[in-house]
Amino acid sequence: MKHEIVENQGAHIVLFNGEIDLESSPAARKILLKCFDNTGNVIVDLSGVTYIDSSGVASLVEALQAAKKNGSQLSLAAVSEPTRRVLELARLDKVFAIYSSVDEALDNKA
Amino acid sequence: MANIPPGGDRRSPIVFDRRRSTMASGHLELLSKMSGHLAVTLNLEETIQKALDLIVRFVNAEGGALFLLEEKFATLVCKASAGPVDIRGIRVKTGEGVVGQCVTENTSRIVRDVQQDANFDHSIDESTGFQTRSILCTPMVVNGQKLGAIELVNKHTDDGLFSDTDLLMLQTLASAAALAINNAHMAEELVEQERFSRELELATEMQRSLLPVTPTDIYPVAGINLPANEMSGDFYDFFELEDGRIYFSLGDVSGKGMDAALLMSKTASLFRCLGKTIHDPNVLLATINRELCETAIHGMFVTMVCGVLDRDTGNVELANAGHEPPLIHTREDTFIALPASAPPLGIMSLHAGDSGIREETFNLDSGTLYIFTDGVTEGCLEDGSRLEQTGFQDIIRERNDLPIAARLEAVVSILSDTGRKRHDDITLLAIRDARTELHRNAGNDGAEIVARHTFPARADALQSVREVVNEACEACGCAPEDATDIIIAVGEACQNVVRHAYQGLDEGDATLEIYCKDGILEFLLRDSARPVDQEKIKPKWPKELGPGGLGICLIHDIMDEVEYLPIQEDQGNLLRMVKYIKRKDSNET
Repeated sequence: MKHEIVENQGAHIVLFNGEIDLESSPAARKILLKCFDNTGNVIVDLSGVTYIDSSGVASLVEALQAAKKNGSQLSLAAVSEPTRRVLELARLDKVFAIYSSVDEALDNKA
Repeated sequence: MANIPPGGDRRSPIVFDRRRSTMASGHLELLSKMSGHLAVTLNLEETIQKALDLIVRFVNAEGGALFLLEEKFATLVCKASAGPVDIRGIRVKTGEGVVGQCVTENTSRIVRDVQQDANFDHSIDESTGFQTRSILCTPMVVNGQKLGAIELVNKHTDDGLFSDTDLLMLQTLASAAALAINNAHMAEELVEQERFSRELELATEMQRSLLPVTPTDIYPVAGINLPANEMSGDFYDFFELEDGRIYFSLGDVSGKGMDAALLMSKTASLFRCLGKTIHDPNVLLATINRELCETAIHGMFVTMVCGVLDRDTGNVELANAGHEPPLIHTREDTFIALPASAPPLGIMSLHAGDSGIREETFNLDSGTLYIFTDGVTEGCLEDGSRLEQTGFQDIIRERNDLPIAARLEAVVSILSDTGRKRHDDITLLAIRDARTELHRNAGNDGAEIVARHTFPARADALQSVREVVNEACEACGCAPEDATDIIIAVGEACQNVVRHAYQGLDEGDATLEIYCKDGILEFLLRDSARPVDQEKIKPKWPKELGPGGLGICLIHDIMDEVEYLPIQEDQGNLLRMVKYIKRKDSNET
């Protein structure tokens, strides 16, 4: 798993690439939670995620909880098909704010 | 000529004689000097030469020789020599000559003038050119144990003749020398013993390292070896061929000493080396036989069984050269013996084939094959009776629910916890049908195995599992959306093994097997960790979204059947998951 963080319009945009599984999810969790050290919204770009398992989903859920506590917002953008399937199966597709692209996510927050 | 017992002339005790008391104090001084000199060395050769040199100097003799008993006290050999002629290596029979008689009779002697003594053997003088005039000789004895004798020749005086006083001095010094020699002797023996036991320890360790380790409890082959002494004449070994079949062997070398252990090591190496290329067990035995015959050790031979297990089918090819018949414990709870078709190896030329070493082929059919040495059947029980085959069968029957390694351990502990001295090595090998659990429990009999993947229970091994599952799904013609789901479910199941069964510790393996038949994919995931708590793995939507509970929900959502199968062995878990798949090449749903 690789990642990249850019700031745009006051939001952190986190881009994950590759597989988020038991091996890499601790890193993903750390990256996401660090974004909430300060206030500001976070958009997670999942377009490049080819596989995510329950530990990866748990990292996203924990980030969502951190956002709520912090008064920020966490949204998912450009969710890849494998990721969408897992979120669907986990019945979490209605829990997260999901946008078709990062731009759309930014527009909605603006 | 006078015979004087060692330690002094008892008939003329040394009392209040001024001359003698001066001499006695001189003795004491010499004695303490000599003891001081000798105490510094524990090297035998050095001690002997030093002692003789000191004595020759103190007694003021022209020359001397120190003899030690050898060859079970039959011969005296000159080990040290002082003076003009070196006579080291000269051998004298006990009882012969002045020295020989001295030792046999355990008395000291003085030959004041050899020209007057009829017993004197002139041959040595003749061969060396030395002229002996007078001889002093005293035996060396420690704690009643004869060591040898010291002989001095010619006093450094005008007439060259010794006196009784000289003999007394020699006797005193000789007993100190004897003690020093004895100490050095014991020290050398101790060092030698130490060296030997250290070497033996290394050899034992080396030999043990030749025995393979059973990877996990669920591995289909397990062996055990308990030597009677440090070194074993038995061996077993197994390894995997490139096609996944398992080559196994067990052998027993005649005899029990170090020579048997060395021949064992050689035979075991031949098996492992030649077995990599010779896959027919009977051809392998014939080849090993040729090697052993070429360098035959007189009277030694090897009884040996070897075979190949195909764990996908349960088929076994087996060859037996002179070894006690292996037993198949069938699933109907009977025992079938497989007697040897050929004599032991290392005796005569043998061919592979019907007229020589035959190859037996059979299917384990959910049974277990046991190969063992006669140390097992001839082993003694607590009451002194032999275990025999019937006793062995009883032990195995009672423990059929245990992993094979535990069954073998039970046999060994029954034979070794008797409080009796064992006389033979105990070695056993068990080969079980790897498909036993799978076939007993799998609903779709006759399913074809698509993949088997054993992986370490670690997070970084999960990606390889997903790749295997992906390939298997493709091979079975699975629709892509089903494949995605299956990868998620199997990934979660494997993740649970890593996280929960092994508690996140980096230890243990798990094995995933994938079977396919008529649009049904069956996944069997097995680990050897502690059994999971069935309550905790029921699919209920977790109140807090922990990943573990979520994973189980995903598995149940995706798979059509999920169950933990009861397994025979008390350790480990076997998770069975079934998915009815849509074929990508059909429109059925």
